[in-house]
Amino acid sequence: MTYLATIAANRFGLGARPGEIAAAQTDPRGWLLRQIGKPPLDPNQPGAAAALAQLALFRQAKQAIKKDGNKPDTPPRRPLARSFAAQVGNTLESAIGSGDSLAWRLREFFSNHFSVSSRGAALLALAPTLEHEAIAPHVFGKFEDMLLAVSSHPAMLVYLNNERSFGPDSMIGRRNRQRGLNENLAREILELHTLGVNGGYDQQDVIELALAISGWSITRPREPEPRGFVFRTQGHQPGARRVLGKTYAEAGLAQGKAVLTDLARHPATARFLSRKLAQHFVSDKPAPALVEQMTRRWQASGGDLGAVITELINHPAAWEPEPQKFKTPREFLISACRATGAAGWQARELIGALELLGQRPFNAGSPAGYGDSESAWDGADALLARIDWAARFSGRLGLDAERLAHNSLGAALTPATRTAIERAESRTQGIALLLMSPEFQRR
Amino acid sequence: MKNIADYPSLKRRGFVKLAGSGLALWQLPALGLAATKAPAPRPKIVWLLLRGGLDSLHAVVPAFDAGLMQQRRSLAEPLVDKLLPLERGFGLHPDLKFLHGLYVKRQLAPVVAVATPYRSRSHFEGQDVLESGLAPADHDSGWLARALSAYRGEGLAIARSLPIALRGEAAASTWYPDHLPGADSDLYARLLKLYENDVRLHQRLQEALETRAKVGDLAGRRRPRLQHLAKACATLLAAPGGPDCAMLEMGGWDTHNNQPGRLSQQFGQLDAGLQILCEHLGQTWQQTLVVIATEFGRTVKNNGTRGTDHGTASALLLAGGALRGGRVLGEWPGLGEKDLYEGRDLMPTSDMRAWTAALLQQHWQIPQTQLAAVFPGAKPVGLTLTEGVLKPKVKV
Repeated sequence: MTYLATIAANRFGLGARPGEIAAAQTDPRGWLLRQIGKPPLDPNQPGAAAALAQLALFRQAKQAIKKDGNKPDTPPRRPLARSFAAQVGNTLESAIGSGDSLAWRLREFFSNHFSVSSRGAALLALAPTLEHEAIAPHVFGKFEDMLLAVSSHPAMLVYLNNERSFGPDSMIGRRNRQRGLNENLAREILELHTLGVNGGYDQQDVIELALAISGWSITRPREPEPRGFVFRTQGHQPGARRVLGKTYAEAGLAQGKAVLTDLARHPATARFLSRKLAQHFVSDKPAPALVEQMTRRWQASGGDLGAVITELINHPAAWEPEPQKFKTPREFLISACRATGAAGWQARELIGALELLGQRPFNAGSPAGYGDSESAWDGADALLARIDWAARFSGRLGLDAERLAHNSLGAALTPATRTAIERAESRTQGIALLLMSPEFQRR
Repeated sequence: MKNIADYPSLKRRGFVKLAGSGLALWQLPALGLAATKAPAPRPKIVWLLLRGGLDSLHAVVPAFDAGLMQQRRSLAEPLVDKLLPLERGFGLHPDLKFLHGLYVKRQLAPVVAVATPYRSRSHFEGQDVLESGLAPADHDSGWLARALSAYRGEGLAIARSLPIALRGEAAASTWYPDHLPGADSDLYARLLKLYENDVRLHQRLQEALETRAKVGDLAGRRRPRLQHLAKACATLLAAPGGPDCAMLEMGGWDTHNNQPGRLSQQFGQLDAGLQILCEHLGQTWQQTLVVIATEFGRTVKNNGTRGTDHGTASALLLAGGALRGGRVLGEWPGLGEKDLYEGRDLMPTSDMRAWTAALLQQHWQIPQTQLAAVFPGAKPVGLTLTEGVLKPKVKV
């Protein structure tokens, strides 16, 4: 047995399901590379159009309550909350059941990279649609396609207030002096989504990008269908823009798209994203050679994410035998479910567990997303919460802990953990010890 | 000095007792101290970090400055008649009623137009510099941890994982309310044994068990608001042998749109949180300094969506029974077009670290030489800020 199969399943995937470590034994790299190309889609999820339709109904219901003063049987917000939980639950279940967990890890990585939080009714409805509409289809495609899809998606436009950001010299801006520009989305695109905070832009670039994407908005509830993104020419700042030293002629919607495309292809973006990917998958302090190699591949391939991930998997620095990182709560929970089958646990309970463990989906509360370094998750209280959850979780599973340990950790199972499991006072306790063992908590 | 980690033998023994009999281990080191002499009340510090960039012009409103109406009429006009009066013509936002009561009792002092050394406008870098106290930030060394090392005290973060401000050599732990029932103590004991070869996990679990033993049933709410966190924080601080400082956090200050309504709610929560903190600290409030800081301020002009974008200077709010308050500190830069930083933001007139350094010097008696390691390059302001034993050297 080799530990490489365990690394393949844990460091690059979401933990081994029964049989996966055995399947990856002969060719761990090949086992991962075969997962590249097939996007992690979960079918039958509603999109932003459906979310906006639901939101329109929600607002009607709220207005009706205001007008008649009658309280309806079901609060108007409930359908939104139900739909949110259903979508998030479906995604969790798909990730738990997937045979291509590398793809799901990537989906989660980019969903956190383009983090939106579900505060308020509009984002409760919209937030989960960003991931399956704008992110999942592109995880093995071109980064610029993902960036454009995200930046023009209603969830992101609402979250970072671009849907009402209008050029001061646009028709809307001149008609009503109270309305104007909002820098929020433009700043975060530069700082968080593309170049990185040291990527060489300044305040003027922020303003120029904000002007370039002014008028990128969403349909109003009373506007005719289809609902979703809309470019409001009357709200777009007229004229040429200058971003990072390059001039972009006035071209309406195409002007902003041209700037974003250049940002996606910028060398600083290649470096920032390559480093972030290496930090996510491998280690908080990844080998410079690994980052360099990925950056070069990013630039040579025009930001082809499948190619960049292939580079990562093929690099020896990504296969250090020692575990390099403490799992995030989400990685821990999904890997625990994959290892055990999670029989008897509902998606709703799993979402509740993520909340208790500090990583409720779409709730980072910051456009930077949840922290991705070990120190963000390895606090004393966080560890205790994991133990308490593991104790409760394993309480409903009547499984053989020793076989689970073998299936999920393979050659990485240490004698100490094996002994602890053997000596456990019950099967339940044995599973809790396995899930909380250092080798299960790290990857 | 009274750090549990300094007593390795006690550590293991203590845990066995905890697991076996439910005895609260946390109290052991304090008992050790108490044996020599009756414990004097120790000066406490609470650092509350407002994440997202507080618009200070909406909190400590410079109603006397003609620039206010010129720059942000739509935000200021509905406010100016309802302000709670402070000296120098400033007024506190009407939803900060408890804070204003503190001001009247000389237990609150806003410091206007302060900033960290950070001059760009990223939340994340800004918060890192604020927490680290260094520019550029060091993610493994926080100012509060360095201050604790100098003071030889213990710290606590009301958070799931240790924030940057408390990372470093000092003894600091974390606590956050959960509502899962605890696992049985046998599982904890077995895991401690399993973690014997894993220093970090072992230490984390031990810290967590100690804190839980102390907090008992404080855990509760699903989504804790500041009030609930403040209550737990106060209970932990005021307990015998409790930590010397605690860090709290509150988000929601990034008001790019609909600022008046959002800040009204935020201020209401902040105000209630401080009230709970004060009430639950009881007598300990008299030895406590509360420092409320944010990573940066916001644009002086309102933006196009009834909000404000990222700016530079903001305010520092100082409070507590140990404070010599009842005044508005800091030089006012003015709001005229030419007074602004880069033509858009409130101009910083002092380094936030200089105020915090002065508080450490006066409240914890940290000598100048060690302060230089806490805040390199920041000279403590020469004002008496506390009611402590140090008599004023400089006339206020």
